[in-house]
Amino acid sequence: MMDLQEFLALDADCDTEDQVDLRALEFVSSYDSHLMCPICHCPFVQPVRLQCDHVFCEKCLRSAITTFRSAESDEFPCPSCRTPTSQVSMSVPRLLINMCDEIQVRCPLAGEGCQELIPRGHIQAHVDKYCGYQLVPCPDESCDKKTRRKDLQAENRCRHSYCRCSRCEEDVMEQDYEEHDKELCPSLETTCTGCGTSVLQRTLETHIEACPEVVSSCAASKYGCPTKIRRAEIATHEQQCPLVAIGPYFEAQNTRLNSLELTMRHLQQRNEIFEDGMANIRTTLVESSRIGDRNGTDFADETEESADRTSNVFSSNATTYLLSLHESLREEVSQMSHALTDLDARASMTIMNECLRIKEDMAHTNAAVNSIRMQVQWLMNPRLHNGTRAGGVRPNASTGNESRSQLASAPGPGNVAGPSLGPLRPRRPSDSGREGTKL
Amino acid sequence: MSRSFANKRLSKELIKIKDHVPPGIAVVKSDSLEEWQMDIKVLDDNPLYKDQTYRLKFTFSAKYPIEPPEVQFITLPPSSETPRAIPMHPHIYSNGIICLDLLGQSGWSPVQTVESVCMSLQSMLTANTKDERPPGDHEFVMHNRRRIRDINFVYEDDNV
Repeated sequence: MMDLQEFLALDADCDTEDQVDLRALEFVSSYDSHLMCPICHCPFVQPVRLQCDHVFCEKCLRSAITTFRSAESDEFPCPSCRTPTSQVSMSVPRLLINMCDEIQVRCPLAGEGCQELIPRGHIQAHVDKYCGYQLVPCPDESCDKKTRRKDLQAENRCRHSYCRCSRCEEDVMEQDYEEHDKELCPSLETTCTGCGTSVLQRTLETHIEACPEVVSSCAASKYGCPTKIRRAEIATHEQQCPLVAIGPYFEAQNTRLNSLELTMRHLQQRNEIFEDGMANIRTTLVESSRIGDRNGTDFADETEESADRTSNVFSSNATTYLLSLHESLREEVSQMSHALTDLDARASMTIMNECLRIKEDMAHTNAAVNSIRMQVQWLMNPRLHNGTRAGGVRPNASTGNESRSQLASAPGPGNVAGPSLGPLRPRRPSDSGREGTKL
Repeated sequence: MSRSFANKRLSKELIKIKDHVPPGIAVVKSDSLEEWQMDIKVLDDNPLYKDQTYRLKFTFSAKYPIEPPEVQFITLPPSSETPRAIPMHPHIYSNGIICLDLLGQSGWSPVQTVESVCMSLQSMLTANTKDERPPGDHEFVMHNRRRIRDINFVYEDDNV
C-alpha cells in the first residue's frame, strides 16, 4: 500500500521506444471481459489495486488520478465505484497477472510477415530476441541500412548490394533476391491446372476466373446442387437445374425469415420492457396501499420515498416477490385459523352434548338413590321404635337443644341410627355425629 | 498526451459495439475517431418519445476517456431521409445541449463508454413525464456561444 503522492511519484518510464506497446497488440484468443481494464479496455498492463478491490492498469490509474483528484484532499474517487480512495496497492494476485500474460497475441511485426502467435507475457522477449522480422543493424559497420534478423546469415555480411534479375531485368537487393526469384518476379510462368496452358504468374488469377476448363460449381450450389463441372458446360447445366429455377423463391423465403426473426427479437425486447414496467407498477401499488394503511402524516415524504424505490427496478422486483410471498403466507395462516375455529366449535358441541347426557343420567341416578334412601328410612323406622321401647325412657340431662324432644337418645343397638326420631320428625343426618360424641 | 490512447480505446469500443449493439442504439457514423453519431430510441411506451429516433453527436477529445466526450442531440431537417428532432425533456435545451452530471467533469468516470452514455440517456428519456424544456431555455439558446465543456451546469434536480 502506498498513498497517492508516492504512487504518482513513481516514474512511469515504461513508454520508451523499444518497448512493445501492449495496448496496440492484436489479441487473437478471446479473453474474459473481467481481465479488461475499464479505462483502456485492454487486458491489464501492470495492474494495481485500490482499497475497494477494483483493479486498473498502473498507467490508466495514474492519468485518472491526476485528473480526478480533488485539490484540497488527498483522496480521489475510484473510477468504477466512486469510493473515496487514498491508498494504492501495487500487489495484485499473481493469478490475475498470469491470466493477462497468457492471452495470445499476434506479433506486432505481423505487417512485415511474422506469423507467430505468442502469449502476451513473452511478446517483449520475442520482439527483442527471436522475431526474424525485427530490423537489426547491418553487420557491416560501413553500411547504415538495417536488415531483418532472419536474413542475417552465418557469414554475417552485408547483403544490401543490388544485383540484376535475369528474367525481368530489374535491380533487386541481394537480401530480397531469393524471394524475388521464386515468387515475386513478374516474368515467372506457371501452368493453369484446368487447361494446362502456361500463363504468367501475375495473370494467373484472372486466367482462372475466365478459363473454360476450370471445374466450377453450379450457381445453385448453396441450395444443395452437387454438380461440379467444367465452366464451359455450366451454362447448359444451369438451364436445366431445378435448383437454379427455384433459387429466387428460396432467396425470397430467406429474406422473409430474416425479417421475421428481426421482428421477433424486437417484440421480445418490447415484452421484456413491458414486464419490467408491470413489476414497477405492482411495487408502486403495494407501496401506496401500505401508505394508506399507515394513515401517514407526512404523506408527501412517503410518496417521494416510494418513487425512489420504484425507480430502482431491480430491488423493486425483489420486494414484489417478497411481498407476494408474504401475502400468500398470510392467506395460509388465515385459512389455518379458520380451520382451527371450526374444529374448536365442533369439539365444544360434542362435549356439551355429552355433558347433557351425563347430567341427565346423574339426575336419574340421584332420583334412584333418593328413593332407595327413602325406602331404607322407612324400613329402619320400625326397628328404631322397637329399640327405644325395649331400652325404656331415660331422663334426659342433655343440652337444651334436645330438651324439646321427649325422647332421649338411647344407645341403639347399632349406634348408627339417628337420635330420638319421632315419626313426625324428619331425619337429620348431621345429628348422628353429635349423638355419637355425646355417648 | 497524443491521440493514440483515445484512438486505441475508441477502436476497441467500436469493435465491441458493432459486435453487439444494445437494443434501441445504433451507430450511424463512426468513420473518424473524433466524432461519432449515434441513433437512440426509447423502447417503452412513453407517449412523449414513442416511435421517435434521436440523433446524438459524440465529440471525443484527445484525453478521452479521462475527459468526458461532448455529447449533444442534433437535428436533421424533416426533408432528409432520416429526420431527427431534439427530444422534449426538462434537462435538454432546444439546441440539443444536455444537462446531465454524467457528462460533466465532476460526474464523469473513465469507466463509462459510448454505450453506457447512450443507455443513460435512454433511461433519462424513459423516466421523464414532463413535456417541457428547462427553465430559461430561450435565453440560453439565444445567448450561449460557449462550447459544451465550458458551461457550468448546476445539477440540482435529482428526480429525473
